[in-house]
Amino acid sequence: MNTATGDQNKSSTQDDSAAADLPLGTTKQWARMHKWLRRGIIVCLVGLVLEGSFTLPFLAIWYGYPTLSFHDICSELMKVRYNNESLECQHPYPFPGPPLGGAPEGAGVNTAKDQWGIQPVPQYPRLGFRELVRIHDQRIARQKAAEHNTRVPHP
Amino acid sequence: MNLPLRRSGNGKTATLPTAAPVPRDGPIPVEDQIEQSRLAQRRADKWLIAGTILMGACAPGIFGLPMFLYGLTLLRRASKAGLSVRPVMVTLIGYLVILDAGLNLQGWILDMIGNHTLIYRVLYTAIGNVMDGGYFWHYNQLWIGGAGAPGEKSWEWACILVVFPMRIAASIAFLQMKRWGHQWLIVTCWFGVVIWVGYVMNMTEYADIRFGGIVFPVLGWWVFDIMYITPFLAIPYLHTVNREIFSD
Amino acid sequence: MSDRDRQRRRALIAFQIFIYGYLLIMFCIQLSMWATRNW
Repeated sequence: MNTATGDQNKSSTQDDSAAADLPLGTTKQWARMHKWLRRGIIVCLVGLVLEGSFTLPFLAIWYGYPTLSFHDICSELMKVRYNNESLECQHPYPFPGPPLGGAPEGAGVNTAKDQWGIQPVPQYPRLGFRELVRIHDQRIARQKAAEHNTRVPHP
Repeated sequence: MNLPLRRSGNGKTATLPTAAPVPRDGPIPVEDQIEQSRLAQRRADKWLIAGTILMGACAPGIFGLPMFLYGLTLLRRASKAGLSVRPVMVTLIGYLVILDAGLNLQGWILDMIGNHTLIYRVLYTAIGNVMDGGYFWHYNQLWIGGAGAPGEKSWEWACILVVFPMRIAASIAFLQMKRWGHQWLIVTCWFGVVIWVGYVMNMTEYADIRFGGIVFPVLGWWVFDIMYITPFLAIPYLHTVNREIFSD
Repeated sequence: MSDRDRQRRRALIAFQIFIYGYLLIMFCIQLSMWATRNW
């Protein structure tokens, strides 16, 4: 009796071993699906890691680092965002700041160009690669020229 | 971790922890098998955890990935050697869900409470300007600060307070092969379906804000965020894995 | 395959079609908006 069941067990385990060595918890009918899910998961994992590592350096370079410091980038983006050349990023921002208390940095600023309505449409320009540097330099040059003009009266 | 002891090689339905395993190459005492398995599991987990922590910290993630993959390799080797270790799929899903939830939590918690620090003002407005106008348009003008897009803050709060912490807790229990971990990971991954449906609809509704004036409209966000579909990959596995391998 | 497994497989296929179909539709809607609006 024992040998009979033993033989049965042996043949069934041989059949199963002949099939792919299935991981624990995976049965034959789901093995293919689990294989593809595993591949998808590994792709997502690698993708997340690459995104996490390279996002900040990519953004920094796109927006003008190291020509512009982080403080400059912050201020330039704020100027573009609110269409207002007089805005500067306050750093360090007074403690505690939102959401714990105090006014947010954009409080009361109403110069942003938007088509308002139930579906607001922003009107700021698209920023190209390192365009912030160009915008920054042009504005500095313009301000210097304006200063020079006011200091040296026209004949 | 009470991993069921495997039969020799076929890995089908799990046996109860108290059943003696069919030995592979000659008789191995059960206690030795358990001890070797435990040690192999712990060794792999050290690399997996270290890798995941680094990957969760974003920038050092590129160093964390090889560590994580090495941990997976150790696990696979132990499994092939006949030891009772956690299945690779359970490991992958468990750690990836933790990573996914951790990265989201990090990003959104900082948008809630770090939105006036210099680094995050630069990072989020820059990300906003590159791929998702919701994080650029009127950033830091709401009383609560942070992203100004309609509906964005609500999603952030719901996820930070409910979904992601629950998902991480369930994932840790899932990695420990607990029954409740498996069950609650199913529940929290279905939350993820709700989030994706609602969040993407919100973006589409306010598409002008989210994609107008942006460097890489539409494609930027999708290429970046499609990597977060972990719940969609986990759900089919969680529903088809043999539940017996998870113990109380 | 047992009946329950067959039902499960059908339900999972329906789920996949639903969720990836939904994402694809939203993506296409956004692409068409990009093509027609001045972004």
